[in-house]
Amino acid sequence: MLRLPDPKAVWGGTTVAVLAVLILLPIVLPSATLATEIVIFAMAALACNLLLGYGGLLSFGQGLFFGAGSYLASLAMIHGHLGLISALLVAIAAGAAIATAVGWLAIRRTGIYFVMLTLALAQMGYFLAYTLADWTGGDNGLLDVPRPPLALFGITLADLHGAGAYYAFVAALFFLVYIGARRVIDSPFGSTLVAIRENETRAAAVGFDTRHYKMLAFTLSGAVTALAGALYAMLINFVPLDNVAMQMSENIVIMTVIGGTGSLFGSLLGAGTFVLLGEILSAIWPRWPLLLGVGLILLVMFLRGGLWGGVESLLARRKEAAE
Amino acid sequence: MKRRSFLKTGLAATSMLAAPAILKPAFAAAPVTIHGLKSVSGAFASYGKFAEMGSKLAVEDFGPVLGAKPAYVTIDTEGNAGKAVRKVQEAIQQQGAKFFQGCTLSSTALAVGKEVAKGGGVFMTPAGADEITGTECNSATFRWTVPTYGAIHQTVRPLAKELPKKKKWYTITPQYVFGEALLTAAKDLFKELGIEHVGNSYHSTQEQEFSGYLTNAMAAQPDVLLILNFGGQASNCLRQAINFGIKQQMTILVAWTAGLDWFQSLGPEILEDVYLGAQYWHQVDTPMNNALVKRVKEAYGITPNYPLAADYISTTVILDAIKKAGSTDGKAVAKAMEGMSYDGPTGKETIRAQDHQVIKDYYLLKGKAKSAMKDPDDYATLISSGKSFPEGDKILCKMA
Repeated sequence: MLRLPDPKAVWGGTTVAVLAVLILLPIVLPSATLATEIVIFAMAALACNLLLGYGGLLSFGQGLFFGAGSYLASLAMIHGHLGLISALLVAIAAGAAIATAVGWLAIRRTGIYFVMLTLALAQMGYFLAYTLADWTGGDNGLLDVPRPPLALFGITLADLHGAGAYYAFVAALFFLVYIGARRVIDSPFGSTLVAIRENETRAAAVGFDTRHYKMLAFTLSGAVTALAGALYAMLINFVPLDNVAMQMSENIVIMTVIGGTGSLFGSLLGAGTFVLLGEILSAIWPRWPLLLGVGLILLVMFLRGGLWGGVESLLARRKEAAE
Repeated sequence: MKRRSFLKTGLAATSMLAAPAILKPAFAAAPVTIHGLKSVSGAFASYGKFAEMGSKLAVEDFGPVLGAKPAYVTIDTEGNAGKAVRKVQEAIQQQGAKFFQGCTLSSTALAVGKEVAKGGGVFMTPAGADEITGTECNSATFRWTVPTYGAIHQTVRPLAKELPKKKKWYTITPQYVFGEALLTAAKDLFKELGIEHVGNSYHSTQEQEFSGYLTNAMAAQPDVLLILNFGGQASNCLRQAINFGIKQQMTILVAWTAGLDWFQSLGPEILEDVYLGAQYWHQVDTPMNNALVKRVKEAYGITPNYPLAADYISTTVILDAIKKAGSTDGKAVAKAMEGMSYDGPTGKETIRAQDHQVIKDYYLLKGKAKSAMKDPDDYATLISSGKSFPEGDKILCKMA
C-alpha cells in the first residue's frame, strides 16, 4: 500500500540527527576540509540513493554527473567570470540536462542492460573530458578553479576562503538538499517511485507512466550530483580527471550501499565511513582498498540495509526487549 | 564535593578537553618540518614506498637547521589528486606547513604547486609534466626531473651518433600531453639530424595490447623503433616487441623509463641490447651518488632507484635552502633556491631561476645480457649523459 505524504515528517526523525551531525563534524574531525569532503560526498551519495534506494535504479553514471558539475561550474567561473551562485546554478542545470539525456536512453532497458548503458555513457563522458584537453586540462586536470565569495545582487554576504566558512556553506546546502529530498520522498512522486521499485509491472498496470517517473528521478539525481561535483571543485580549487572517471561512479555507489540504500541519513553515514576509513586504513596498510572490499562483502552478506539498517534493527531490538 | 568525586569529574573533564587533541594531528615541535607527498597507498604505492624512503633518509642525514633537527611528516596522496590537495590544504591551515616535497602524478604535482604557492610555501617535485616549469609554473614550485625535450635530445641524438647508418625511425606514442611533447621534440630533432620518420602509431592511455602498432611498425621497415610511452604501457609494449622478434630486426629505444625498479620488473632477457633513457642511474660516478648508494645500502639494504634518489636530493635541496636563507619564510627560501648549485646524484646540478627547473644530466643506457651483469642490479651500461633544456623563448614559464 502506498504511504500518504506527511508534510510535517520532514522536520522530525533523522532530520534532527542530520543537523546534529553537520554541527558536530568539523568539531570532532581533525579538520573542516575533511568534514567538507565528507558532506560533499554525502550529497552525491544522497543523490545516488534517490535512484538506487527509492527507484531501484543502479546507475554507474553518477561520476559523469559529478564530473560534469565540476567542469562546467569551473569553466563558467574561469571563462564566464560567473559568481558562486550562478556557477552552482550552471552545474545544477547541466547535471539535470545530462542526467535527463542519460535517463531517457538508459531507462529503455532494465536490469543488467540498464546498468551497462549508464556505464557506457559514463565512459563516453570520461573520454570526452580527456579529449577536450584544451578546455578540461585533460590528464593534468583543470587548474586555478576559484572559490568566489557568497554574493547576492553584487553584495558580498560571506567570504568562503576560510575552511570553516566554506564548510558552513556546504553544510547549509547539504541540509537544504536533504530537506528537499525528504519532501520528494514523502510526496506522491516519492511513493510512486517506491512502488515502481517494488513492482514496476504492477505500478504500470495501475496507470503510472513508470518511464516518466524514472526519468524525473534521474534528472533530480543528476542535478544534485552535479552540485556536489561543483562544490568539490571549489573545495580543492581544481578538477582532476578522476572526477569523471569510473572510479568516482563506483565510490558513490559504494558510499550509498555502505550507508544503506533507502535511507537519506544513511548517505551521510556511508560517505563519512568511506572517507574516514580511507584516512585511517591508508595509514595502516598500503593496500587498504582490499580491506574495504572485504568490509563491503560482509556488509552485503550480513547487513543488507547498510550501516543505517544495522542501527535501525538494533534500535528495534532494544525497543522489543524493553517491551 | 567528596575528594574521589572531584578527582573523577576532573579526570573526565580533562579527557574531554584532550579528545580533540587525540584526533587532531600533533603540531610539529621542530622549527623546520618537511611534508613529503607520497603515494604510500593506492595504485602507485610501489613508487611511493621508495620516494618516502628517500625523503626520510634525507631528513635523517641532515644536520641541524635553524638550531634544531628538522622533522619529517608523510602525507599519503593515496594516488588521488583530489585527496592530495585536500590534505595539503589541511597541513597548511592547521600545522602551518610550508615545505613540501614529492608527488608521483603530474596532475597532483600541478594542483599541489598552486596550493603551496597560495600558502606562501615551497614545493619541489620529481613529477613528469613539462607544464610544472612551463606554462603552469609558479614562484613556489621547483622541479628536479629533466623535461621531455631533454629526454629526447639526450637519447635520440647520442643514439643517432652511435648508429649513423640507421636513418629510418618509427615511433609509438601515447595520445596525451606527455606523449605529444615527446613526439614533437623527436620530430624536430629528426629534421635536424636528417632522420626519416617513417611512421607513428598513436595509442590511448588505456591501451595494453600493442601487437597492432608493432605490426604497423614492422611493415614500415624502420631501422629504429622509438617507444614514447611510460611505466606499465612501456613494459607491455617492450615485452610484446620482444615476443614479435623485433629486437632482431631493428634497434629499440625507450626514451623515458622509470629506471632500476622498472628494469627489475622486466629482467635482462627483455632489456638486453635495448636502449633506455633514464633520469637517474645508480652507477653514475659522482661523489654525491657514490655516497648515496653507500648510504642507501647501509640504511635499507637496497640499491637506490629513481624515486628514492629524486626525493632524497629534492628534500636535501629544500633543507639546504632553508639553511642558506636562515629563515622559514617561504619567499626567502624560494629566493635562496633560485640559481642554487649543488652536488647532486647526477653531478653538478643547478636550479634555473627563470623557470625553477633543475639543470641536470639525463642518461642513455643499454640493457646488458644476463651473463654480463656483475651484480643483481647491473642491468645496463651507461652509453652517454648530458644536459639539454629549452632555452630563450622556448622557456614557456612566465613567472608571476
